[in-house]
Amino acid sequence: MYKWFAVKRIFKGIVMYALLIFIFSILFNSVNETTQKAQIEEQVRMESQRLKGTKAADIQRFQRERRESLYKLYRFDRPLWERIVLRTVNILTFNFGKSTIMKSQTGERDVLTIIGEAIPRTLLLFLVAAVFEIGIGIVVGLKKAQHPGGHMDRTTSMITMILYGMPTWWVAMLFIMLFVYQLKWFPSGGLHTVPPPTGAAYGWDMVYHMILPLFTLIIIGFWGVSYMIRNLVLGTMQEDFIMAARARGIPENRVLFGHTLRTAAPPIVTMALLSLLGAISGAIIFEGIFSWPGLGNLYWVAVQQNDIPVLMADLSISTGLYQAGLVILDLIYGFLDPRVKVGGKA
Amino acid sequence: MSFRDFGYWLKDFWADFRKEKSGLVGIAIIAIAILVVIFEPLCLPWEETNSKWRSISYWQDNSPSAPPVWTNWFRSKKAAETARLTKGKREMVELDGGVKMVSETFTYDFQADEAPLDLIFHCTGTGENVNVSFEVTRPDGQTIELAQRLEQGLQAADVRLSAENDGRDAAFTFLKGVETEANMSTLSNESLRATHIIFNTARSGMSRDFKPLKGKYIFTAKSMLLDPETDKIDKPFVVVTGSVSGILGTDNMKRDIFSGLVAGLKWALLIGLLTSIVSVLVGVVYGVVSAYYGGKVDSVMQFIFQIFNSMPVLPILIVLSAIFKPTIVTLILVMVIFFWTGPVMTVRSMAMQIREETYIEAARALGASNSRIIWKHMVPILIPYSFADMALSVPSAIVYESSVSLLGLGDASIVSWGQILHEAMEGSAILNGIWWWIIPPGLLIAILGMAFAFLGFAMDKILNPKLRTR
Repeated sequence: MYKWFAVKRIFKGIVMYALLIFIFSILFNSVNETTQKAQIEEQVRMESQRLKGTKAADIQRFQRERRESLYKLYRFDRPLWERIVLRTVNILTFNFGKSTIMKSQTGERDVLTIIGEAIPRTLLLFLVAAVFEIGIGIVVGLKKAQHPGGHMDRTTSMITMILYGMPTWWVAMLFIMLFVYQLKWFPSGGLHTVPPPTGAAYGWDMVYHMILPLFTLIIIGFWGVSYMIRNLVLGTMQEDFIMAARARGIPENRVLFGHTLRTAAPPIVTMALLSLLGAISGAIIFEGIFSWPGLGNLYWVAVQQNDIPVLMADLSISTGLYQAGLVILDLIYGFLDPRVKVGGKA
Repeated sequence: MSFRDFGYWLKDFWADFRKEKSGLVGIAIIAIAILVVIFEPLCLPWEETNSKWRSISYWQDNSPSAPPVWTNWFRSKKAAETARLTKGKREMVELDGGVKMVSETFTYDFQADEAPLDLIFHCTGTGENVNVSFEVTRPDGQTIELAQRLEQGLQAADVRLSAENDGRDAAFTFLKGVETEANMSTLSNESLRATHIIFNTARSGMSRDFKPLKGKYIFTAKSMLLDPETDKIDKPFVVVTGSVSGILGTDNMKRDIFSGLVAGLKWALLIGLLTSIVSVLVGVVYGVVSAYYGGKVDSVMQFIFQIFNSMPVLPILIVLSAIFKPTIVTLILVMVIFFWTGPVMTVRSMAMQIREETYIEAARALGASNSRIIWKHMVPILIPYSFADMALSVPSAIVYESSVSLLGLGDASIVSWGQILHEAMEGSAILNGIWWWIIPPGLLIAILGMAFAFLGFAMDKILNPKLRTR
């Protein structure tokens, strides 16, 4: 039953996510608590500034009491393991607290708002890039598989290997240097011009800002996808049923897209989605270069301003997205390849 | 598998491998890289790059953001190259009262069309009273006494006389003798470099434009040793700071980029090789153990494997580095913790087949212990298959370290390519078009990655014949 397989997989994903967050809470406990204590200190100081004209002794007493009550509120009087569990639960319920320095576009210091603004931008950039990458990858990969060892297969494989260790963010730097500052074709980065235009111009402005990052991602990304598709398809092409299909006189294109691609689809989807997930986690650097204000850029800013709450929240949200990606991947695989569901039940 | 077996295996492997041209190219590049690392002192134009990369005084005589020397080939007006004159001619004259006069002369052949940026004399002085003077004799026979310095109580300290800082007055006095009154009055002291006067043809109007006086310049440094027993002037040299410098130019901190790249190569190789070898070995052993024991052990180990496999590596690596500020060794260790999952699944499925082989059963029947079977009969068979994995995970390890360094979270006690790129970002090299600061480090990362990719794909083709092009 696909339903049970899906429920089971989603449940497993959630458990895995909770476990990872728990590990993070242990790892980063001390730095989190130092930050929280500093935040409490700041709050106490702010509050005591309001008490003008009070005696010094009273202010000190007020500060002490206030600090104690806040420590109690944040459970600093409780044992270590309880604090760690509490933090895990807080993160799992998206209760990230306030940032230390950074602000959202509307000026709020709520970490969830800051992250919430960034998520759709990252997804937009990388999903669009993935669609193009996989699309071009399938076409090129199939062409490669049709004549393995041929001229095109060899040259494209060579390019794949040459690009294998090339950091995408470095290519981004080169493209910015060339297309932005030399040729002045594109804006240097960001989501839109400041101040943002309104109406239809807004959409066009955003597309204009997206072209260069998209182009960079695609031009570097699709080679690997096509090489992988070539290998997967090549395995299927040797099967007897393809020979049979050809023998029946089915047009080559239908053999390629109908028979071969359908059979090779489950692993192709897995590999393509996995590479997409890898790209998103590599986005940290890439977005920073283009100052594309997504989750990745948030890491840069948070690291530079040493904003621990935002950094932690960003990490847990990226981990969550990664986890969700893995779950979706398995669900699609199970849908495309019914045999998996049997394994899922056992 | 004994050593001799391994030898046979290697021979077979080589027979196949030598047919893969790209694999050979990969091996050649890696071999060159290793040679450069071994002979690093010979390749470094600045010998102390490793220890002095972040020292400001070590690089102070270079010009900031200077393009590479070879950009001169594409210029109609040749820029002066940075030159270091270390071979001077020393003369010592004894004066009355036991005082000695030391003079050191350097000859410099000036053939560029643009003036150098500075002219600097250096020496190491020791003594109660050390006085040094520096003068230039031009090809037209005129001499400019650029600067003098009296230092007291030096203990093998560096004495630096620069035309730009100490010789401006002397240069302007020389200019006054040649230039017309009208031109002098419109000239402000700040607008002209001392070197523009020193290397200019003497004539009225010379403050307006630069007409290079080409030929042999003689730089003379003189010092009076009041007490020849204790006073000393050692290691004198002259630097002509040109506006182009070194094989790959300099960055905005005046550092020689080529030296930085050579010094960074060994770290890139170390990070890549150590991370991939250790993590792949761990992964192979993990997969074999998991498959060999099976049952509950397998389930638990697979669960742990899945936990590691579902972590986004780069974000975690960056947050860990931001918080714990790791050294290079800890960074490699952390990377191993995330990288070992790579070969586990393939190895596990292969080990599951091997486990059922009769020779394993025979070994068990003979009373071999589990660890003996794993280490002696299973791991050695599977390790050769993981060589391709090793080669292919080298580039990602290098890129990950560069990414962490690019954010400014690298180990500050070493020079790595990622750190050079980080500094390029900080110094807005992209905006200013300082391409010699951005292209070479990234290109080296890419080339090294490509070499390992060539090697890895070639090995993969031989070791996993399934993927061979049919």
